Amino acid sequence: MQHEIQARPAATVLKVDLEQGESLTCEVGAMIAMSSGMTVETTSRQKGGKGGLMKGLKRMFSGENFFLNHFTAQNPDQSIYLGPTLMGDVIYHPLDNATLIVQGASWLASDPGIEVDASWQGFGKALFSGESMFWVKCSGTGDLFLNSFGAIYEVDVDGQYTVDSGHIVAFEETLQFKIGKAGKSLIGSFLGGEGLVCKFEGQGKLYCQSHNPPSFGKLLGPQLRPR
Amino acid sequence: MSTADQMPSDVQFEITQRPDFGLLSVQLADGQQIFAEPAAMASMTPNAHMKAGMKGGFKKTLGRMLGGESLIINTFTAQQGAAEVTFAPGTPGDVLHYHLDQNTLLLQRGAFLAYTDGVELTGKWQGAKGFFSGEGLVLLKASGAGDIFFNSYGAILEVDVTDEFIVDTSYIVAFEDTLDYRVTILEGMKVSSKIKSFFFGGEGLVCKFSGQGKIWIQTRAVNPFLSWIYPFRPTKNNN
Repeated sequence: MQHEIQARPAATVLKVDLEQGESLTCEVGAMIAMSSGMTVETTSRQKGGKGGLMKGLKRMFSGENFFLNHFTAQNPDQSIYLGPTLMGDVIYHPLDNATLIVQGASWLASDPGIEVDASWQGFGKALFSGESMFWVKCSGTGDLFLNSFGAIYEVDVDGQYTVDSGHIVAFEETLQFKIGKAGKSLIGSFLGGEGLVCKFEGQGKLYCQSHNPPSFGKLLGPQLRPR
Repeated sequence: MSTADQMPSDVQFEITQRPDFGLLSVQLADGQQIFAEPAAMASMTPNAHMKAGMKGGFKKTLGRMLGGESLIINTFTAQQGAAEVTFAPGTPGDVLHYHLDQNTLLLQRGAFLAYTDGVELTGKWQGAKGFFSGEGLVLLKASGAGDIFFNSYGAILEVDVTDEFIVDTSYIVAFEDTLDYRVTILEGMKVSSKIKSFFFGGEGLVCKFSGQGKIWIQTRAVNPFLSWIYPFRPTKNNN
């Protein structure tokens, strides 16, 4: 599997070349264009638990599901172009028998050798139940591609580090974390515009995004006609 | 980054700030004209004069309207000397130049920015071809001889099709009409999983191109963004 990341960092697009028989698992809706010798199959992962496709059907409109498209090259020399919804970057983070926790909307595509588990609840269900924020646990060996809203910056955490939950793209499982507030008092934190933050501890890699999707949504949403 | 295409042009131009904020500057000689989509003009020198109006008669105007473009096409003319006009698209993205030489280019709605004398722009009814797509129902057809400039949301990728190629309908910017095309459901979705992938896949409708020619694809699309923003809309008060 060969890949090329083009038009960085705002209009970024990922091109993956597949040999005959090779597959790529992608976020639903990410496919922009592709060669004609590919097949696609869709499966679902229930957020916060295992789920089959029929269960997926019932939950289709509730946003509780996470769908994956599996593209497989039936012919030699096939290519696929993938892009995220929002303006932002794409990065490559291969896994070698390792685990990365990825913010649901930041997962773009991965090798079938990586298990994508949307039932990960390490942060607790209640805290992120709104705003369609959920987490996927990617573990195994193979290529993994992430996307962001805005630019991506990498932090090598050694000790302690605090990130606003909306700015997290992904982090290595070697990091410990707990949810907290940015300021000393809860009211002070919210007045300061900072909601819940994630306090990381230990050693590991952390990817952050320069822009916070829920903040952008909340900025635009009230200007739109009610649904 | 400036424009890099090797095509001839009837007008002197420069495309800067690519690919995120593509901006087109056109140098007009005295008396030279360029035609542009309304609101595309960002700035101009004093010798440039703008005239708004329907161009090409009622039928062509109607065709363009069906193509998702405005009824009005603005004409910019350099008077009493040379002039410079700068055009910018409505979305952050790229701008490309294409030189027509008695051939035809088909454009997605909203993708047209400006063109020079000698180019004819009309709507093209797609009939059942585009029936399910919601977009691409009517494409804009540019033909004749001259320069056309088109724009995108996100960067533009150029693909040289020599056999077959598949593009999600939302991401098509333009293509040469030497290509055959039809709107279809992805192959494997029908075979391996019947209708389910069509509904769940989110990638149900694609345009399948065959033959030889160029396609230009954008790296972002407006519809997915609208779906993303939808949950943030206020809910109706039912009292």
